[in-house]
Amino acid sequence: MFRRPLLRTAYEQDAAILPTYFQKVAMALLLLATVLTALGAPVLGAIPEFFLGGTWLNPVTNMITLGIAALGFTILVGVTGQVSIGHAFFMGVGAYMAVALGGPGDGVTACVPFHEELGVLDQAGVCGLGLPMWIWLPAAGVAAALVGMLVSPAAVRVRGLYLAIATIGLVFIGLHLGRMLPEFAGDFESGRTWPELQLRFWKEETPLVDMTSDGTWFGLIHLSEEQKQFFFLTALFILFAIAAKNIIRSRTGRALAAIRDRDIAAEVMGVPEQKYKRIGFAISSFYAGIGGALFASYNGRVAPVQWSLFLSVDFIAILLIGGAGTIAGTILGTIFVELTPEVVKRFTEWLGDQVAGEGIVASFANLMLTSGSGDFGPISLTPASPGWPMSVFLWNFVIFGVLIVLFMIFEPLGLFGIWIRIRNYWKGWPFSY
Amino acid sequence: MKKIRYLLTIFLVFAMIAASCGGSDDGAAVEDDTSTEDTTDTTEAMDDTTDSTEAMDEGGGGEVATDFGVDAENKVIRVGLNADLSGPFASLVSEIVAAQQVYWEAFNEAGGYEGWTVEPVVIDSGYATDVGIQNYEQFAQESEDGVLMITENTGSPITAAIAAQAAEDNVLVIPLSWASLWPDPEFGAAILEKQTTYCIESMNGVEWLAGYAEEQGLEPSLAILSRPGEYGEDGAAGAKIAAEELGIPIVYDGTSQVAGDDRTGVIAELVGSGATMVWTTLTPGELLDIFGNAVSQGYDGLWSGNSPSFSYPVMLTSDFAGEFDQYYFQSGYYASWATPGIPEMDRLVTEMVARRPELSISDVYSTGWIEGMMTETLIRAAIDGGDMTRANMVALAGSGIEVDFGGLSANQSWPADYNEAVVRSSWIYDVDAEAFNLIPMGDYTPENPGSTGMIPLEKDYVGSVAADYVFDGPCITPSG
Amino acid sequence: MDVTTFIQTLVKALALGAVYIMMGLGFVIIFKGTQVLNFAASALSMAGAMFMSILIADRGLPFLPFGNPLAGPEGETPSIGVWLSNLIFTLIIAAILGLVVERLTIRPMIGQPLFAMAVITLGLEFAIRPFNIDATALEGRSLGVPWGAEAWTVADALIPKSYVAAAIMALIAGLVVFFFYRSRFGVAMRAVAFDQEAAMAQGINVGRVFAIAWALGVALAALAGIAYGMAPFPPGGSVSQEIHPVLAFRVLPVIVLGGLDSVIGVIYGGVMIALAEVFAGQYLSQYNSILGSGYSTIVPYLVMLIVLVVRPYGLFGTPEIRRV
Repeated sequence: MFRRPLLRTAYEQDAAILPTYFQKVAMALLLLATVLTALGAPVLGAIPEFFLGGTWLNPVTNMITLGIAALGFTILVGVTGQVSIGHAFFMGVGAYMAVALGGPGDGVTACVPFHEELGVLDQAGVCGLGLPMWIWLPAAGVAAALVGMLVSPAAVRVRGLYLAIATIGLVFIGLHLGRMLPEFAGDFESGRTWPELQLRFWKEETPLVDMTSDGTWFGLIHLSEEQKQFFFLTALFILFAIAAKNIIRSRTGRALAAIRDRDIAAEVMGVPEQKYKRIGFAISSFYAGIGGALFASYNGRVAPVQWSLFLSVDFIAILLIGGAGTIAGTILGTIFVELTPEVVKRFTEWLGDQVAGEGIVASFANLMLTSGSGDFGPISLTPASPGWPMSVFLWNFVIFGVLIVLFMIFEPLGLFGIWIRIRNYWKGWPFSY
Repeated sequence: MKKIRYLLTIFLVFAMIAASCGGSDDGAAVEDDTSTEDTTDTTEAMDDTTDSTEAMDEGGGGEVATDFGVDAENKVIRVGLNADLSGPFASLVSEIVAAQQVYWEAFNEAGGYEGWTVEPVVIDSGYATDVGIQNYEQFAQESEDGVLMITENTGSPITAAIAAQAAEDNVLVIPLSWASLWPDPEFGAAILEKQTTYCIESMNGVEWLAGYAEEQGLEPSLAILSRPGEYGEDGAAGAKIAAEELGIPIVYDGTSQVAGDDRTGVIAELVGSGATMVWTTLTPGELLDIFGNAVSQGYDGLWSGNSPSFSYPVMLTSDFAGEFDQYYFQSGYYASWATPGIPEMDRLVTEMVARRPELSISDVYSTGWIEGMMTETLIRAAIDGGDMTRANMVALAGSGIEVDFGGLSANQSWPADYNEAVVRSSWIYDVDAEAFNLIPMGDYTPENPGSTGMIPLEKDYVGSVAADYVFDGPCITPSG
Repeated sequence: MDVTTFIQTLVKALALGAVYIMMGLGFVIIFKGTQVLNFAASALSMAGAMFMSILIADRGLPFLPFGNPLAGPEGETPSIGVWLSNLIFTLIIAAILGLVVERLTIRPMIGQPLFAMAVITLGLEFAIRPFNIDATALEGRSLGVPWGAEAWTVADALIPKSYVAAAIMALIAGLVVFFFYRSRFGVAMRAVAFDQEAAMAQGINVGRVFAIAWALGVALAALAGIAYGMAPFPPGGSVSQEIHPVLAFRVLPVIVLGGLDSVIGVIYGGVMIALAEVFAGQYLSQYNSILGSGYSTIVPYLVMLIVLVVRPYGLFGTPEIRRV
């Protein structure tokens, strides 16, 4: 029996992680599809070749690490209502904590800031203690959370867009620190090496769970190194998503939401605004720190410029495209924002391959594309083509931008809004409302 | 109900850990496999190709062992270009990519080599490290979707990010970066640097500029401006070595000082120092700002800098074109557009003009061309040797094979010893704003070849410092 | 203290402040009219500078096959009159671009959540920037400034003509915005900013207010982009692929310092931030090793953060009335 989405007969139902059967089924199917796709099973064989060609695992895994940070952003912005564009800064804090504790380096003396100037170590060296992941990953989150709490007293005073722009200041200060402290950040342009995703007890040679070479898990499934990392990070993501969901439906989450809805009213009701804003910042920064550490460590090497304004702005797009400050919305938004460029890229590549063919697709491809001069299509396939027609690599960005614009115009509530509409339609079916 | 779910989750996590512990024996076994992977892979691949080569034996040509990125049936070799086509260096890199594409078009139309043709695959990184790494993974796949080698990889950051992995995967990479790290096998076992390094370029440039300053009756004193990071530090290190060896006082050392959007402080220090010579390791935008402001404040020292600092389309269309003509000398690694008397340049010009008439003339076509020549030499050697596996490409590159650039740049080979491996020559150009005439290649005629405003003063110049300096490794220590 | 250096630094700071003011006014007008923080400002500003370059250096009209009738005689540096007429023409094109953008992407969003509009401008930034990159690719893009990098000498100090020109442009832009504010439209705009629905109920055409705010805002951003292109501003008399795309982001501290919705605040903020930035760069440069290279870039943000802690709505911003 399908339950009505808003009909609650018990408090447990209201607080459930997946309140409806539909959501349970959808979640199970999504998980199943994820696992099978990652294993290379042809479950999605019906989807055209452009969608599955090449390696999808890399961009998807990258997306998952950013998704963890996006969960934190949802808690701060979507649930607490504090708009921040400084999320990349907190990701950086986490990432550098991770690399200082877990990365390869030149010992403790290199961890003294300005060690060269102070003469602690008379040469350039990077701070890295080589500790195992069970230390550096939580530490990354905690460090970011502490920094988040440190800035929150100032942030609590400032509201709305003022807060948003003030937090941009954090990003620039972070970049500056990245330049000033090469002992942590490494080379300003090419960064430094992050610890690998390996589970170890301590610094032993053979890791407990080896995720940087192909191998067999559970004695059954043969996995490539990418698949191992994918499953590990997906598992982490699921854990963090459940935790975020639990935070939102807990006492803390309700307090945060009360502040978002009307801060003065919340205070009147006995929700201490300052305290909960601080908690909101701390939780969100914790997620950012973990996400940043995993992102850097999955990519292996990250330069300080990575933690830039553009990364922060990505999260705003994720939140609003996903819509409505929910965990499901965050997941959908992350998928949209982080994978659309890849989809567009593959679509135009695929279109390029169709020119030679026949039929409607080929004639459309012919209309849009030009492989040299004297052709009328606006999209040029040669990389060097200043002026008109413009190169396909630039068009990919245009298409991405236009998709965002169109999406927001037609669905201002985001992907989650679409879902609500579908749900409402079926809720009232066969009556229109 | 809720509790059960929690217990279930915890149980699952434990089960996973336990299972993976149990599986770790297998993991160790697999690790042993990986150490012998190379040999097994190649033998497997050998088996594969013997099948396919048998099939096409009637088509002629010897047997060539292949593994990934080579379609032995159709005799097509895939090479990858991990290029920045939408990021900060898009305009430069897209020209380099175009030149390499033209190179392969010409190569393929001439029948390739022993029937083998080359298919360049271009992917855009936008100069973002994470995208660059993803692109690399796509190229390095061990399947028919992979490539034999990466014939261009834009930028030091992405090259640094993939260097270790490329060595592990045996994917040979030609970087679009002249950092002095790459000739060192420790940092770039599979990285095939072309031409000289920023460090040596700086040595030559400073020495030449000091000579020129003395000719002009100036007392040489040097100011160094560089941006933070490997590129800036490498260039500045070379300039410092040269100044030390030649006894030139460094009156302002701005190593790594040019950062951020506001450069007032650096300009103030430079103008205040009164240096007669400036060596810059910057981006064109940074150089234009600092140079323009210094000159506007009446500063009249002589300028030069590492090749990427200066960009003729930017500088010579700016309002400081005349001042650049007067004070700036460009340094570089190769012949500029349509330099007469170089046979390979004539071929480059003919092919580019015929195949890309809509593009403008450019100096960096030489770079793409040189990448093509290096790759062709290696591929020919691999086909001759009957082994076109990825591992063999890396081995070939280190085997002392020499590439003849036909005068475009100094010939080069890649021995393991750093001191022997580095190329010590660079080019010095005069900036000529009057001659500067950027035309579409369609308008090219031998009488009116157009000009990028770069007039070679010294071809393959080797200064005394660079010639005698004994390198025991790169000029900079890379970070972790 | 060296007087000549001081004067030169002061002039440089004021000129930078003038650019900040023009760009900041563009932000504030759009914010005031539509309550949107325009993330597309850098792309639109660069597009404006691009139009100028196409008109004056290519002697063409953007997207049209025939030439620019206003371009002066070929092969010469344009005279000041020709350059100014092209400047005005560019601003008109930029305003039309603003109208088009507003009609297509912002108008449908009246009454929708404000942050959805902000994300739309973000999408616009992605969509417009590639065209700028493409248009600057390979060839440098001269702005054909008649006086180039020339300077006047006043008591040994070199005063670049471009700096004076930027100040004049900012002055005119400020006056235009000031009188616009006093007009009927300005009042309508303020009413819309206060409450869109109430303004509609009073018979104010909200759509038109949106349109005018965007037209004016984009034109101001374009003006700032062009002014910032003049030598010896960093792009050295051209449109720079490297420098122009980040110009708008440098103005964010300015508008927050002044108060997001305050015209007078932008003027104070622009001058203050520019003075702080340039003077810190000039006179603290010997402490570079302590402050870190490029320290002057974060000076604006530090000033902004300090001001915000003391005054959460900037110097002149309207405090949000907090009600239960």
